[in-house]
Amino acid sequence: MRLLVEISPHLKQKYDTGWVMKQVVFSLVPVVIASVVFFRLRAVLLVSVCIIGCLLSEVLVNRLRKRASTLSDYSAVVTGMLLAFLLPPKIPLWAAFLAAAVAILVGKQIFGGLGQNIFNPALVARAFLMAAFPVMLTSWVNPFNLEAVTQATPLALWKFSHQFVSLEKLFLGNVPGSLGETSSIAIILGGLYLILRGVACWRAPLGMFVGLSALSGIFYLKSPLNGSVFFHLFSGGAMLGMFFMVTDPVTTPVTKSGRFIFGLFVGILVVIIRKWAGLPEGVMYSILFMNAFVPLINKLTKPKSFGR
Amino acid sequence: MVKLSENKHPQEDFYTQKAPLPSKLVIPLVQHTGISPVLKVNKKDNVQAGSLLARAESLICANVHSPCQGVVEDITQYNHPVLKKSQAVIIKTSKSDYDFSLKHNLDNLSKDDLLEAIRDAGIVGLGGAAFPTHVKLKPLKKIDVLIINGCECEPYLTCDYRMMVEHTDSILKGIEILARVLEVKQVFIGIEDNKSEAVKRFNSKLHTRNYSLPQVRVKVLNSLYPQGAEKQLIYSLARRKVPAGGLPLDIGCVVHNVATCFSVYEAVFLGKPLIERIVTFAGSALKESKNLWVKVGTLVSELFLKEALEFKTEPRKVIFGGPMMGVAVDSLDWPIIKGTSGVLFLSEKDVDLGQEKSCIKCARCVDTCPMGLIPLELARLAKKSLWTSLEEFFISDCIECGSCSYVCPAKIPIVHYVKLGKQKLREKTAKPKA
Repeated sequence: MRLLVEISPHLKQKYDTGWVMKQVVFSLVPVVIASVVFFRLRAVLLVSVCIIGCLLSEVLVNRLRKRASTLSDYSAVVTGMLLAFLLPPKIPLWAAFLAAAVAILVGKQIFGGLGQNIFNPALVARAFLMAAFPVMLTSWVNPFNLEAVTQATPLALWKFSHQFVSLEKLFLGNVPGSLGETSSIAIILGGLYLILRGVACWRAPLGMFVGLSALSGIFYLKSPLNGSVFFHLFSGGAMLGMFFMVTDPVTTPVTKSGRFIFGLFVGILVVIIRKWAGLPEGVMYSILFMNAFVPLINKLTKPKSFGR
Repeated sequence: MVKLSENKHPQEDFYTQKAPLPSKLVIPLVQHTGISPVLKVNKKDNVQAGSLLARAESLICANVHSPCQGVVEDITQYNHPVLKKSQAVIIKTSKSDYDFSLKHNLDNLSKDDLLEAIRDAGIVGLGGAAFPTHVKLKPLKKIDVLIINGCECEPYLTCDYRMMVEHTDSILKGIEILARVLEVKQVFIGIEDNKSEAVKRFNSKLHTRNYSLPQVRVKVLNSLYPQGAEKQLIYSLARRKVPAGGLPLDIGCVVHNVATCFSVYEAVFLGKPLIERIVTFAGSALKESKNLWVKVGTLVSELFLKEALEFKTEPRKVIFGGPMMGVAVDSLDWPIIKGTSGVLFLSEKDVDLGQEKSCIKCARCVDTCPMGLIPLELARLAKKSLWTSLEEFFISDCIECGSCSYVCPAKIPIVHYVKLGKQKLREKTAKPKA
């Protein structure tokens, strides 16, 4: 009889990291469906290229570092899907592939792999494209009609020509925009699944909701031209950011209050960038900016332990 | 706190049987938290059930008695489920029956008589920590709330549940004694909501019989782990927080386990020392899980020899205590001691707990920690050997309940790192600075 002698506990929950990531993949299914509805075959191609790009980059790093395969943790698949959702539908596929490589290599592996990175890998890749190929990243198409000439996103219309798209269109996603950002309803469905299953924490999304709603609400009260709360919530990357970016465990605070504060500041920054910066959209930069503050937030919000 | 898979059902409805008398008993001198008692027998001495084997001659100490008639065969170092190795009296047994029938009338006994009876009986806390009970009955500060722990929040274990169901009246009589000694104003009996039968029995006894108790309330608590941990239980019942590094008596509370109350009853009413207890034997490697009245000093292997227990499959892990905080042992030749609530036998399928992966900072451990710590930081710092930084994250407050390791999707053995960190810090303070 050979008995194992280990330190307690001798009982552990069944799920592992791979299960957690798979839940995120499941929760993104409504977004995939919405993107295929609006952007057809293009959505399938873009999502596939990004996932494959991420997986290949992951394999490359594992080979170079002579490490066991990390594909089973599904984190590369999640990064690939999220990256695809951040890109304009008509972006050349080679650029999407390049972005996928940047996401994994520069966004994640350079820091030491899963769990070590400071910035959200998908957003790092998008920021890279934005800097390297700005025109590519600001050329948009209408849903259902990918051959049409360049269209402006609802946020660009608002910012540069003071025109508003109907909330109904925004909510369903029938507007020009990034592949997976247009349909708020699909994102909310997936996001709620994630939160109700206990995979993602509600604190950061709530913080972002409060920050974004409060500040945009104040501006709206000053002038309706600033756009309503719902307009700001349902346009651009706000919804995807709220449910799938500020909920990324790796790049957000670990303390309970820290998570809320992180989301709160992201929401505030989004409105500030939209209103005063040169760009019509600010979700990407708000989150990347706040990612850098995570260690500080963790430090400042360190809880007092029981009985102190 | 966290909801665990309880694994409690197989044996909880069966009456507790008496385990057969083993041919020998291995009785460690130290079965409590504190100083070793002084040996009072020699090799080849004849002993009776209840004979004193070792006497408590220091303050935080407990007597040890012989559980049955027999001969002292040897006095030697032996396996010990908490201390790994300890001095033990080995008794070759001859007869298992005993006669403890000293009848006492509670009214004729003074507070000191009661305390003496409890101290003489060698009673220690039966919930796990095994702190000598009589010491807790002479608190240095005024106590106004007595808390009785019937939570049994560890999965698998049902020994306290059986105790509460089968000996409700005796437990209440034990509580009467404790309440009288401590002169408390209020008694709480905390029981988790998965033990509704125990709750029912306590309530019906309290309604139908007259106990000389102050205000007493049976409180039903959520079945969450670690509900039965002392600090969490006091907070759940009395809404008082034990200060960090402090004791329950600092906030006027004292906690006793239900099985301890039963032993107090036996000591005072029957003059019977603590020589046996209910132990849960469970796990996937057993043919049948069961609760047994086991004599202190019984080796687990003896119970298999006497066919009180049978294996279904070969065990891969044997645990003294519950699965969350219990100690894994390397063979079956380990003795049941006063604080042993259960012995678990896990088969291959239950021991694969997964490979340690990198932390994704999901903070499930933070959300779960009953002490409000940041376990992932403790694990990270310990891994990097940054021992002194561990104190900034209140490592000394960790009660090692295992909730963090339980919920961790990356399967990081956080408790292991915490124990390592605590040990390194102890070594640091023990060593004078060069």
